[in-house]
Amino acid sequence: MSTEYDEIQAVDDEPDIKRGKIEAWAASAIKNPDRTYRAMFYTATIFFLVTTLFPFYWLFMVALTEQRQLQNVGLVPSGFDPSLLAQGDLTMGTNPGVFIEVFTLIPFHRYMFNSFVIATVTTIVVLLVASLAGYVFGRLRFPFKGPLMLLVLVVSFFPPAAFFIPLNRLFNTNIDILRPVLADGSLYNTPYAMIIPFSAIFMPLAIFILTTFYSQIPDGLEDAARIEGTTRLGALFRVIVPLSAPGVATAGVLTFIAVYNEFFFSFLMTDGGADNWAPIVEGLLQYQGQYEVLFNVMAAASIVGVLPVAILVVVAQEKIVSGLTAGALKE
Amino acid sequence: MGDVKLEAITKRYDEVTAVDDMNLDIRDGEFVTFVGPSGCGKSTTMETIAGLTKPTEGKVIISGRDVTKLPPKDRGISMVFQNIALFPHMDVFDNISFGLRLRDYDAEEIQRRVDHAADVVQLEDMQDRMPEEMSGGQRQRVAIARAIVRNPDVFLMDEPLANLDAKLRVHMRTELQRLHKELDTTIIYVTHDQAEAMTMSDRICVINSGQLQQIDPPLVCYNEPANTFVAGFIGSPSMNFIEGEITNSGFKSEHFSVEFDPKALNVDLGRTVTLGVRPEDVYETTKTEFVDDRTDPISAKTDVLEPMGNEVFIYLLLSEDAEASMDAAKADDQLLMSTDPDSTLGEDEQIEVVLDRNKLHLFDGVSGEAITHGLAPSTADTPEAGTQAD
Repeated sequence: MSTEYDEIQAVDDEPDIKRGKIEAWAASAIKNPDRTYRAMFYTATIFFLVTTLFPFYWLFMVALTEQRQLQNVGLVPSGFDPSLLAQGDLTMGTNPGVFIEVFTLIPFHRYMFNSFVIATVTTIVVLLVASLAGYVFGRLRFPFKGPLMLLVLVVSFFPPAAFFIPLNRLFNTNIDILRPVLADGSLYNTPYAMIIPFSAIFMPLAIFILTTFYSQIPDGLEDAARIEGTTRLGALFRVIVPLSAPGVATAGVLTFIAVYNEFFFSFLMTDGGADNWAPIVEGLLQYQGQYEVLFNVMAAASIVGVLPVAILVVVAQEKIVSGLTAGALKE
Repeated sequence: MGDVKLEAITKRYDEVTAVDDMNLDIRDGEFVTFVGPSGCGKSTTMETIAGLTKPTEGKVIISGRDVTKLPPKDRGISMVFQNIALFPHMDVFDNISFGLRLRDYDAEEIQRRVDHAADVVQLEDMQDRMPEEMSGGQRQRVAIARAIVRNPDVFLMDEPLANLDAKLRVHMRTELQRLHKELDTTIIYVTHDQAEAMTMSDRICVINSGQLQQIDPPLVCYNEPANTFVAGFIGSPSMNFIEGEITNSGFKSEHFSVEFDPKALNVDLGRTVTLGVRPEDVYETTKTEFVDDRTDPISAKTDVLEPMGNEVFIYLLLSEDAEASMDAAKADDQLLMSTDPDSTLGEDEQIEVVLDRNKLHLFDGVSGEAITHGLAPSTADTPEAGTQAD
């Protein structure tokens, strides 16, 4: 790395001791550790970015490659040839049409919609219930608070698979009172079969985050709100939640992403049909036929599926930053 | 309207009793101050009135209604907090109008009321500011405006000036008194600063360890304290206390005595008592022209001088081996005297002082309850009295 090379040059002001290159570098690093730390920071960051972003890049390249050329995709799509531009071929030998194919082969938009709805509803449920729990754990004194909080957290330590079989049995049971709402009275193939377990599984983390944030809000603000005319609940939603915006955004985004990407429950609680609330990942699997796998369409669909989450994170990040700077509580 | 009554209010936390059997009757339009040291239960008492804390026992009655079980919002009260507690995510207008908006007033009425409240606290042009853009004093005014905008029956103020700097505090004190005159609403004010309590209140309610010690107008608390706690808490610097016992000829302590007829006061001989005298009622023997009835001279040595500008505080040691202690008021062999600033006294001078008999207080040595305030004029002039021990 160039910074390290610079440091080797920089040792020249110590001519007395004869050192090898590595010894000299070590000496300068001891003398001036900031440069080493910066070098380590860049190394780590670049490593992280490459390992996380390169797969996306490669996915994009796979998507742009024609189906028949898939066996040798390198850093650019096979068949990529800039010289084709001169001949009037704007695609330069790639296949951008795949992004339309994603939606024409199967109703991928419906799968996205399913995932989006399930993730949104789960997030709302989680934030509402976790806000109440966070308020209680963060702001009230009551007996057995510690053990109860521990119990909530223990739930999140269980692998979700542990819950699966009983839940699957339950959701496949026909329950008479549900008949007016659901055709056969069972939750299988309905969004509820996913929203309910997801809400439960992702609740502890949200409770934990919100408890921490809500406990930071000065008591005086809640008291003031209650004196001014809110109930405890009113104070929670009018004062405590707005002031904890960063925490609420964090809990919300984490829940949304986790549910949006969820596969295990979604795969088993539906039969995979777009009309039966199957989520994105099942949509992706639809491109896998008995005789061929449309890897390029799969890749394109993956990218399309990730976009909403990427947009959400960017937007929420701005909210989080603005929430942090708008704080300024005086206690 | 606006009267507050506490009936046998008790608040117990697991082990601690924060408020112990508090009975209070606050009249409409009165400015009552709860004063006491930190942790004495004054804030808890206020929170009980506000409804932020539920009493373990007893009843809270506001404007003739039993509100013990009502939430704060239905009690017809408003409150100003020590930490100001403006909502940081709302501008001044939203802060002031918060309670009105919750009660669904129409926009015009809200605007009119907010304008009026902002006018009262002189913040007309700042309605669109955010709290963090304002100074401490301005924020406190917003908090007060938020409290008055709803025309409550009772204002509760929990150390509203504690977080302001000294100069602003004195200024806001005057403002609050003016506000009280203007609004004529009951104000209950909590403070640990006895000077604030003295200057602002119609009546002071002195609280210690969760118990009501005395509730009286400021000067009554000052001149006729109900017990040693009130006597020591009200007034700065604190009253001098000297332990002693009742003899045939009156009060006798290690270093001096004061004669009176114990029978007239109906106290038993041999009973241990505490004599209390305020620093301004200790005089040099040369400056006694305004003292009608003085005790016999007590010889003392000046220790430390504290010139305040308008007066000087002089620490007096009553015996040679007296050790200057941190708490001069409690030490039996020390006296604190306040005298006029042009006094020529220096440190380590032998002087003689007298006490104003009319201003002496006698408290029970065990319970601390007041026995009498001011002694009857001395009848005989006994030569052996009024001497020092050594």
